Amino acid sequence: MSSTKPTIKVRTKDVIAIHWFNAFFWLTLVLTGFGIISGDFVRLAPAFWPTFLQNLLGGNANLVLLHGIGGMVWAGVIGVYALLNFKRVVLPFLKNVLVLTPKAAIADVSSMVITLAHLFGLLKHQSVPPQGRYNGAQRLLGTMIIACSLAIAVTGMYLFLSPMLLDFAASAGVLGGVFRWALVIHLAAVLLVLLGLVAHIYFAVVEEPESLETMKSGEAEVAFIKHHNPLWYAELEREGKV
Amino acid sequence: MVAKYVMLADTTRCINCKACEVACRAEWDTPLGYSRDWVKEVEYVNAKGLPEVQLFPGRCQHCDDPPCVEVCPSGASWKREDGIVLVDHAICSGCELCVPACPYDARWLNPVTNTISKCTFCQPRIDKGLQPACVETCVGHALIFGDANDPNSAVSQLLKAKEWQKLVTDEVNIGPNHYYYTAGKAIPDAVMPKLNERHLSGTLMENIVNPLGTLGIGGMMAVFLGAGIKKLIDRRQDVSNKEGSHEQH
Ligand code: SF4
Ligand code: SF4
Repeated sequence: MSSTKPTIKVRTKDVIAIHWFNAFFWLTLVLTGFGIISGDFVRLAPAFWPTFLQNLLGGNANLVLLHGIGGMVWAGVIGVYALLNFKRVVLPFLKNVLVLTPKAAIADVSSMVITLAHLFGLLKHQSVPPQGRYNGAQRLLGTMIIACSLAIAVTGMYLFLSPMLLDFAASAGVLGGVFRWALVIHLAAVLLVLLGLVAHIYFAVVEEPESLETMKSGEAEVAFIKHHNPLWYAELEREGKV
Repeated sequence: MVAKYVMLADTTRCINCKACEVACRAEWDTPLGYSRDWVKEVEYVNAKGLPEVQLFPGRCQHCDDPPCVEVCPSGASWKREDGIVLVDHAICSGCELCVPACPYDARWLNPVTNTISKCTFCQPRIDKGLQPACVETCVGHALIFGDANDPNSAVSQLLKAKEWQKLVTDEVNIGPNHYYYTAGKAIPDAVMPKLNERHLSGTLMENIVNPLGTLGIGGMMAVFLGAGIKKLIDRRQDVSNKEGSHEQH
């Protein structure tokens, strides 16, 4: 980013750190998770991946342990961070990002469709409605990631700990049944987030590298905000920040 | 050459003494009421109108293409190079996805270990050069075990000498490595493998979650790859347009 252009601080260091912490753990957990699921019917990665990873780590038991402990560190650190910074970081983020009403969801879906169509030179006559800090697609992705992360953390904990702590055989199939459904939810939630991450990474790297820069330095160009997020710009103006 | 272990059961020699079951339970210390092997007794009226009994000693068939391994999400169920299908108890969660996947009903959840129990052809004994416990104890010498890839083994010789059958149907043909000799008699339906109803959760994962997820992620990647390529082409065109207009000036 050129130092001559005026910028403002939009992200604190701890938010940047937790974002990259989350990204790193996602990558590790997805790679190890896809290595654990090795049966042909349930496997998601090509067959060589589980074999490679299991050989690398000296067996699937080690891989399961690594994935389970990694998952607990991920959920634990983010959970504690969210609790400690609830008012300062989490609440404003949730306010900006959560899509809870059908009306808001429809508006966000339509703005997302228009944005996507624009990438291919379609729907040119339709303009994207003015955006606040987050656009429709980001809000939908944010809501989905929050819901899925909660589901992943809860089901993951059950998948990892229940075989060690609970008596499946004595429960007449109930605990095993919960385990199997937890597996389905865990997998579905991971796949949903991955679906969104493809778009997230594309936009950050190709379409709007400015936002990636913001996630590194915490600084955003005022002109970029004014152009891309006019509602947010107006808000910053009202607050006297620009 | 790697071994290919097979079990032969000569039903004409089985006397239903259950010595094999007792030996197996003792060897594996299975809880009361559970067994890794069994002898099925099928009574019927023969063509002459006389009652007859056929005896079928059974256990995990160590299939070539085992669905129990394919459905196991943790990789706990696996197949050794020599064909023995095993369960790694350190990682078996006891989720029982594999139980209905086995058409021979050879798997059960052990209430003591909370992991899956099934016949392993007594793998620890085999690795020491011993015979499986059931074979060693079989009073009528009805059970014969060995390496089918070794032309000098007893099983290879017997497989050549007699007409053996496998428990397979049009619906279930997953390459069992357990052979039966019945002296030409047809095998009753009662001992044939049956497709069990799978757990709904497993079916959902296999038929909906995984294919949709793979398609969705693949589709998203294709869409954004397309968008990236289009962006590159547009940029090129922009540059050449600009260069063109420069040249005109
Ligand atoms: S008999 Fe059942 S448990 Fe044994 S390998 Fe075949 S499918 Fe698996
Ligand atoms: S119960 Fe069966 S499917 Fe589940 S982890 Fe154990 S061996 Fe695999």
